[in-house]
Amino acid sequence: MSIKGLGKSILITLPALFLFACSGSDTDTTPATTDSQTTTQPQVPTGPTQAELEAQANAKMREVRTVYFEFDDSTVKSEYQDLLKAHAWYLSKNPAVQVVVEGHCDERGTPEYNLALGERRGNSVRDILMSYGVTSAQIKVVSYGEENPANPAHNESAWEENRRAFLKYEG
Amino acid sequence: MMKSIATFFLSCCLIASVRADIDIDIIIEEGMSMARPVAVVPFNFSGTSARPPHDFSAIIANDLRRSGRFNPMAYNEMPELPTDYRQVEISKWKERGIEAVVVGSVEEISQDQFRIQYQLIDVFKPQAGISAEQSLLLNKAASTNTRSFRFVAHQVADDIYEALTGIKGAFATRIAYVTVDRSLATPYQLVMADSDGYNRISLFSSEEALMSPVWSPDGKSIAYVSFENGRSEIYLQQITGQRTMIAAFPGINSAPAFSPDGRKLALTLSKDGNAEIYVLDLVTRQFRRLTNTGPNVIDTEPEFSPDGQWILFTSDRGLRPQIYRVSVHGGRAERITFEGEYNASASYTPDGKSIILVNRTDGVYHIAKQDVETGTLQILTDTMLDESPSLAPNGTMVIYATIQNGRQVLAQVSTDGRFKIRLPAKQGEVKAPAWSPYLIQ
Repeated sequence: MSIKGLGKSILITLPALFLFACSGSDTDTTPATTDSQTTTQPQVPTGPTQAELEAQANAKMREVRTVYFEFDDSTVKSEYQDLLKAHAWYLSKNPAVQVVVEGHCDERGTPEYNLALGERRGNSVRDILMSYGVTSAQIKVVSYGEENPANPAHNESAWEENRRAFLKYEG
Repeated sequence: MMKSIATFFLSCCLIASVRADIDIDIIIEEGMSMARPVAVVPFNFSGTSARPPHDFSAIIANDLRRSGRFNPMAYNEMPELPTDYRQVEISKWKERGIEAVVVGSVEEISQDQFRIQYQLIDVFKPQAGISAEQSLLLNKAASTNTRSFRFVAHQVADDIYEALTGIKGAFATRIAYVTVDRSLATPYQLVMADSDGYNRISLFSSEEALMSPVWSPDGKSIAYVSFENGRSEIYLQQITGQRTMIAAFPGINSAPAFSPDGRKLALTLSKDGNAEIYVLDLVTRQFRRLTNTGPNVIDTEPEFSPDGQWILFTSDRGLRPQIYRVSVHGGRAERITFEGEYNASASYTPDGKSIILVNRTDGVYHIAKQDVETGTLQILTDTMLDESPSLAPNGTMVIYATIQNGRQVLAQVSTDGRFKIRLPAKQGEVKAPAWSPYLIQ
């Protein structure tokens, strides 16, 4: 199985986890007082809080940090919306965290055009993160064009792995 | 299809250390059937050393062979081995169909000083009553030392080529390129070598990618893109080593191209949002934005016309990348390519009559030539994933990068598409070739 295929299978299971985390956070925010009430109750040994569960689910989901693209295309496929939502959720909760969105291309086409195409792919990912509330100050887009292939082979399956945007956390 | 290995040294004076110092072999792939038969007779050597630093006549013969226009005769097939035109028996060469004969000598006149004499003889010119002198196309002398020995041999080859074709030779030139060897601590190297692959010099090596080298018109420096600081930045480096940063704006800094007078550098920056063409005045260091295409469009790969009045560039404003032309003063850009789904990396031939570019038709990338007047497109190559074409300064050959046997290598094709050379790498991958202008040394 290619790296790309692996990414997909993780994606199938993870959105469910994340949706759970999201709905949890929705109900959680309504009565802010319930939290302090529960602490007064006699305690069975405490498990993780709702917030911790959310963070764990989110961290699990954010283990996937690569978005793959179609040939000669910089549109983020709909299947990556939930993944990027998870990253955006984390970034908006941690405004001190910076992310570098690395844009990459396969080797087909000219290196100079691909350097610009890689940036356009990075920008597509940036725009989606920002649509979920991440500030532009937290995101830097860096294009590597076709210069840093994930797989340096010269064939179709390598090209699939190389057409990507990668989310690299800093700080 | 004719295949033959053009070995650099036909004679026995093969110097191992020099041989090991080249990245590439040269394999003639196709087109030798068009080549004119000539002979470069081994030059006589006299001096206190056992042998000259290099085989002078072999350098000439290999240059002529690599041009695709000539097929120099093998030494062991030669009917005689004269070293001066007065010793040449024209009839012996004529009956073997040889059109021209080069004879000469290398004389070591003092420590590390050599005097070269040579003559080029037109075999079919002499009629009854014409003296040997009148059949001479060239009768010249030159002096050199060990360091410049090969360069002077290339210059002699240039003179012979010009005398026989009417076109200025481009053998006494250099090629810059990028090598990638992932087994090294610094996998990326910017390399400069003579046009035949010799005298390889690494100008810069890096852990991070290097891209897009181009020569300044005086042949003394190279502009290129380096990722040494984690993103694309443009540097200008003299071949003697001195290095300055040219552009490191937010976003991409890409695709440098010198104006013919060497005073300006066109480049691609995305600091204002999307990739657009800018012109940097290298004297005042002022940047001027040339295109203003707007959000999400890519304008890149600028290249000046030979008269310096126009800039060709690649733009996907019409969805697919195509070549456009804009005045250096700005204004409306005009689309000039219409064949195929993708045209990029365009440059004018030195006469301004054609454009060399990368064309994609039905998903296949080849180097192509488009006639400026008629718009007719001719595919020149039949290799795989061809890119980064760079023209010899005389416009006769294109060097480019391609994939062969699962590796990126360099290759050459004549601008008429007839003659093809492969330049397989000894190790790692080779890409981004840039042919120097004519050099004076």
